[in-house]
Amino acid sequence: MDTYVITVLSNIGMISFVALSAYILLLSGQISFGQQAYFGIGAYTAGIATVMWQWPIAVALVLGALAASAAAGLVGLATLRLSGIYFAMATLAFAEIMRIAAELFVYRREIGGIETGPDGIDGFRDIRYFFANDISPFQSCLIVYALLAAVLASLFIVERTRGGRLLRQVGEDPLLAEVQGIDVMRVRMAAALSAGAVAGLGGGLYAHLMTYVEPRSFDIMLGVHALAYGLIGGLGTALGPLLGVLIDIGLLESTRIFRGYRMIVFGGLVAVLLIVRPRGLLDEVAINRIRQALRRRRRAGG
Amino acid sequence: MAPVDLAQNTLDGLMIGSSYALLAIGFTLIFGVMRRLNLAYGPTIMAGVYLGTAAFISFGAPSLVVLAIVIIGASLVGLYVERLCFRPFGEAARTASMVASFALWMQIEEAAMHMLPQHMNPFPPLLAAPPLEIGPLMLRADHLIMLAATLLLAGAVTYLLARTKLGLAIRAVIDQPRAAAIVGIHVERIMMLTFVLASAIGGFAGFLIAATDAQVTAMMGMWATTKGLVAMMLGGLGSVRGAIAGGLLLGVLEAHAQWFLGPQVRDMVAWGLLFVILAFWPGGLMGAKALDRTMAVGRRV
Repeated sequence: MDTYVITVLSNIGMISFVALSAYILLLSGQISFGQQAYFGIGAYTAGIATVMWQWPIAVALVLGALAASAAAGLVGLATLRLSGIYFAMATLAFAEIMRIAAELFVYRREIGGIETGPDGIDGFRDIRYFFANDISPFQSCLIVYALLAAVLASLFIVERTRGGRLLRQVGEDPLLAEVQGIDVMRVRMAAALSAGAVAGLGGGLYAHLMTYVEPRSFDIMLGVHALAYGLIGGLGTALGPLLGVLIDIGLLESTRIFRGYRMIVFGGLVAVLLIVRPRGLLDEVAINRIRQALRRRRRAGG
Repeated sequence: MAPVDLAQNTLDGLMIGSSYALLAIGFTLIFGVMRRLNLAYGPTIMAGVYLGTAAFISFGAPSLVVLAIVIIGASLVGLYVERLCFRPFGEAARTASMVASFALWMQIEEAAMHMLPQHMNPFPPLLAAPPLEIGPLMLRADHLIMLAATLLLAGAVTYLLARTKLGLAIRAVIDQPRAAAIVGIHVERIMMLTFVLASAIGGFAGFLIAATDAQVTAMMGMWATTKGLVAMMLGGLGSVRGAIAGGLLLGVLEAHAQWFLGPQVRDMVAWGLLFVILAFWPGGLMGAKALDRTMAVGRRV
């Protein structure tokens, strides 16, 4: 396959993790401007683990996801009782603090005769695990999609269980959910922890595929884009955020049709799209309709 | 750490803070009436300023003409944002409004960069007078004008809200949109007027900010959105007084943090303060009780 196509596909896959992370919180009724922070924590943690501590990639990715999840839990303790603009601003504040902390974070060591590690505002270069272990771009792309598929599968499973219904119920009307005896804080905390882990996992992959990260990559633009993807693609299914990423990166950024005018087209498109479908293309109604159609066909066929 | 430095920092902070306060007033007006966040507010201002500076670069327009262009430009762009991101949605689709306004942010920014492709563009300075010296303290005359303009404008907005018929209508829409509609207030028109008014205030603030810097970049949009939001949240949502207090506090805090800890830590301190305030006093310094639960219960009872 063409290397350019592989790069674009990998980008779509990696950004999908942040989009899914924002989507999980959207389902729980919270708007986060700060999921990029967990993406960044995952990227730095996993990168440090393979480069500085020479850990295998699988362990490093898990560590990145855990670190991000733990951070999300701590932030959640302070912020989950907030909602709406208050929660959005608190998460943004945290993400900006983390971004500036990364600008100040210097952790250099000599590994194999070369000094390496995060170097403040210059970022963290030479995260060469894939290169050093002869993993081709195509193979690393496969790894991204295998992990993305695993995350999607678990999301689909959770959505079919009681937990998924609780999540949507809390997101729909927290007050009503509380009156019905649902522990709203616990549901929100579970959502925050898993959203953090998903973003952290994506971040770990991002660090290793790009081979370098810098604090600037994790600014508010990434966070708001992640949020927008879910809303464009639709909140009815976990495939919605992926559709959003596909439209933005796959169609507009990569095909270069609208070179120099991408944002003018994309911005207008999104605004108009949201007027027609305020909960995205694949919203709950659309998903229900598709499900019914599938069921009917299955019945007719069987 | 001489007391002179502390005094100078506080003074500088108050001056910069007055521009934050102006931005926060505009944000507060929009949020108060719409109950929704307009992320494109900063870029709207930037677009107005860019139009003004384009006139300055191409025909050497004088300051007053530039000011008029900035204010009218920001109002028109604001109207565009309102039409596309707020008018079509009810209150129920808050997230949609916010994301749509973010989409327009991207759009406005790219359009502005096509208009003036240079990264940095000159802007006519307000006045070229040397800084005033008051004892050991230095004070820039244009900063003083900015502070005076902020207080004047805050007074005007308060007067408008408290004493005029339009203000009464705006407050009615803020408190009870449905009841306001029943007693014959044209809610959509009030919303549009408030939106345009806030954008015009933003344009005025943008003009002052760009004039004191004597230059402008497309980054101004993001800068104005974040500073205005932080100042508004610090002071507490929905009050003009809170917006001013939040803006001035943010300015003073940043000035001291920059002096003692450097520019990076300055931003960290500002965000850190916001985080702590949201976590412990979500209503802000001057706002009402704002935990959604109490409000939600109140609305339904």
